[in-house]
Amino acid sequence: MTESNFSLKKIEISVSEAEKRTGRNAMNMQETYTAYLIETRSVEHSDGQSVLTDSLWRRCSAFEWLRNYLLVYYPHVVVPPLPEKRAEFVWHKLSADNMDPDFVERRRIGLENFLLRLASHPILCRDKIFYLFLTQEGNWKETVNETGFQLKADSRLKALNATFRVKNPDKRFIELKHYSDELQSVISHLLRVRARVADRLYGVYKVHGNYGRVFSEWSAIEKEMGDGLQSAGHHMDVYASSIDDILEDEEHYADQLKEYLFYAEALRAVCRKHELMQYDLEMAAQDLASKKQQCEELATGGELFSIWGVTTQLFGQETPEQREARIKMLEEQIKEGEQQLKSKNLEGREFVKNAWADIERFKEQKNHDLKEALISYAVMQISMCKKGIQVWTNAKECFSKM
Amino acid sequence: MSGGPPKALPSTGPQSLRDMPHPLAGSSSEEAVGGDSTPSPDLLTARSFGDKDLILPNGGTPAGTASPASSSSLLNRLQLDDDVDGETRDLFVTVDDPKKHVCTMETYITYRITTKSTRVEFDLPEYSVRRRYQDFDWLRNKLEESQPTHLIPPLPEKFVVKGVVDRFSEEFVETRRKALDKFLKRITDHPVLSFNEHFNVFLTAKDLNAHKKQGMALLTRVGESVKHVAGGYKLRSRPLEFAAIGEYLDTFALKLGTIDRIAQRIIKEEIEYLVELREYGPVYSTWSALEGELAEPLEGVSACIGSCSAALEELTDDTTEDFLPVLREYILYSDSMKSVLKKRDHVQAEYEAKLEAVALRKEERPKVPADVEKCQDRMECFNADLKADMERWQNNKRQDFRQLLMGMADKNIQYYEKCLMAWESIIPLLQEKQEDK
Repeated sequence: MTESNFSLKKIEISVSEAEKRTGRNAMNMQETYTAYLIETRSVEHSDGQSVLTDSLWRRCSAFEWLRNYLLVYYPHVVVPPLPEKRAEFVWHKLSADNMDPDFVERRRIGLENFLLRLASHPILCRDKIFYLFLTQEGNWKETVNETGFQLKADSRLKALNATFRVKNPDKRFIELKHYSDELQSVISHLLRVRARVADRLYGVYKVHGNYGRVFSEWSAIEKEMGDGLQSAGHHMDVYASSIDDILEDEEHYADQLKEYLFYAEALRAVCRKHELMQYDLEMAAQDLASKKQQCEELATGGELFSIWGVTTQLFGQETPEQREARIKMLEEQIKEGEQQLKSKNLEGREFVKNAWADIERFKEQKNHDLKEALISYAVMQISMCKKGIQVWTNAKECFSKM
Repeated sequence: MSGGPPKALPSTGPQSLRDMPHPLAGSSSEEAVGGDSTPSPDLLTARSFGDKDLILPNGGTPAGTASPASSSSLLNRLQLDDDVDGETRDLFVTVDDPKKHVCTMETYITYRITTKSTRVEFDLPEYSVRRRYQDFDWLRNKLEESQPTHLIPPLPEKFVVKGVVDRFSEEFVETRRKALDKFLKRITDHPVLSFNEHFNVFLTAKDLNAHKKQGMALLTRVGESVKHVAGGYKLRSRPLEFAAIGEYLDTFALKLGTIDRIAQRIIKEEIEYLVELREYGPVYSTWSALEGELAEPLEGVSACIGSCSAALEELTDDTTEDFLPVLREYILYSDSMKSVLKKRDHVQAEYEAKLEAVALRKEERPKVPADVEKCQDRMECFNADLKADMERWQNNKRQDFRQLLMGMADKNIQYYEKCLMAWESIIPLLQEKQEDK
């Protein structure tokens, strides 16, 4: 597959396997990590058949590199998040161990989802590094490094808590940042409470299992009541064990919520970028304004009171030649500054336009996905209720035969 | 007395049972009592239940007359009639209308006891009196005293076990009322206990305290004698059938205790689950306030969880109010039954000891002395009464538990049905296409 007719829309990507491996890290220490098998298939037009075109193993860190690269090169895009590295919001039955097979499995699904999100993004899907991630087995990291993305990265973006006094930010971004903060907070709260709810529900179901045992023991001393009790006890056992599958299914819902919890972070990053751009713009404008002022002062002979004027008074008068030289320098700087300001302005406007377009796209995706998640959650609850009705109806029938 | 039974009766008004001829006695000259004095099967219809000639004095036989065997067979036949459906009943008792009484010294609850009966023991066809728990306790003690060979149903616990329960709360009073109603109905259904004089007084007397003070001592001969059996006799071995009953009761009480603990644990877990749900639902509301298109769906989910919480609360309340008390009642029941078994053992022990004493005296006697025969009487009566009551108890237990457990299953089904309805109703809401706000 050549790059030119590369269209990820006709591609099927899957993260089909996860494998535990041990190796030596950069400091020559032994470490255990998980590697994931990424398979790419191209779908033929005519018969819809897919052919395996690429297959390679990547470890977690590679995914992180990919994402960090995309964050730098596409700051106006709400970049899809990676699944969590450590199991958070666990309820007691779930293992918090990162090597736990259930966790690894959910991670595999999460990583696949990440790649699919990239592939379906109108801008990101065309990225060369992404393409290479799927196809270039060796030296991919070096290739990414060569882009110099790490140097381009604005470290200020990482300083989440630092505040920049921005005078004229785009209101929409301020609101959006506020929204992403609230969204993060509410989904975190939701996931925490949901985990507690799962814990308690587990307890309720499991205690019913004790009925199974005691009904069985009781049936042993009864004549006519014995059979009814015994079979009812069996249904109590079924009831108690049904909760395991129910809660496993619910984890999928929790994962869907988690994705949007992390998406909130990506959203905030875009707002942050705007904030910084705006800040730089305002700083540049401020700098330009002060340079202009300086120039004016020098030109008018320093009669206006200014720090500049005071300094020269302190250090003695300067020659007209010196003054001329300074004015010239300033005029050049001002010229440069004006150019920079112009381009920064342009950049800023472009950014706002492009970012807002992607944000609108993201909003639609979010509304669609979360609605689907809520529907599937409701369907899960319905299924749980129906199972409950079935079990208790069966038990009731057994009791009626007592 | 207004409107007695059509047959001419020698007297009106309540009579002391001692004045009545024993139905199993020799032919009575008091034809007015109503035809045959020997109980033929034809007469053993429920209608004749009300006839004086078939009323047994409380469970015993006059000494030296009919053999004990016939009283127990009569009992059995009466029991069979009892199992016929309610149309043949002639005594109905209900406990309802709890009221709080606030006095200077104390505050207490009384319940209205309504009695409807066509039995001749009752002067009026209908009675309505007010009784408090103390009065029930008195009745139970009197029944135990006067009918020691029978199984007396248990009362709900006198004192509130868990410290925080309010004994004037609606739920507590209702639970108690149901238990007291059950108590009286069990006595009503009993062919011997329902004719007990103390029971009659309890149901009819305007001023029960006056009667309490009089200290009615209408003990049957058996009752009297059982009461005075000294505990000094050691039983060699319980007959197989009673040993089996004893063992059964032990295991039964044990299993019920376990079920009680499990039920309590389930309630505890359900309440904790409820606490979390109550925090969970509102978070969806909070989220809904942030959103545009998702606002309604999220609010819908929040409301759904709220409905499920309400349904869960109903379930736990029902388990606490209906399920647990009945379990506890049966545990109390088996405890009191075990003590009746022990009393029976004492009676048998006394008889065996006396028999042994006679044998040791090595006197050539043509027949067993009268007092040993009395002992044998007592023992065989006791055994018969107990066996009959045990069988009745087993049947009632089976019905009660079938109803109890089916009820428990039903409540759970209703809970899930309510939740199902809530979730099914929001699916269309979630699937709706909405305008962006």
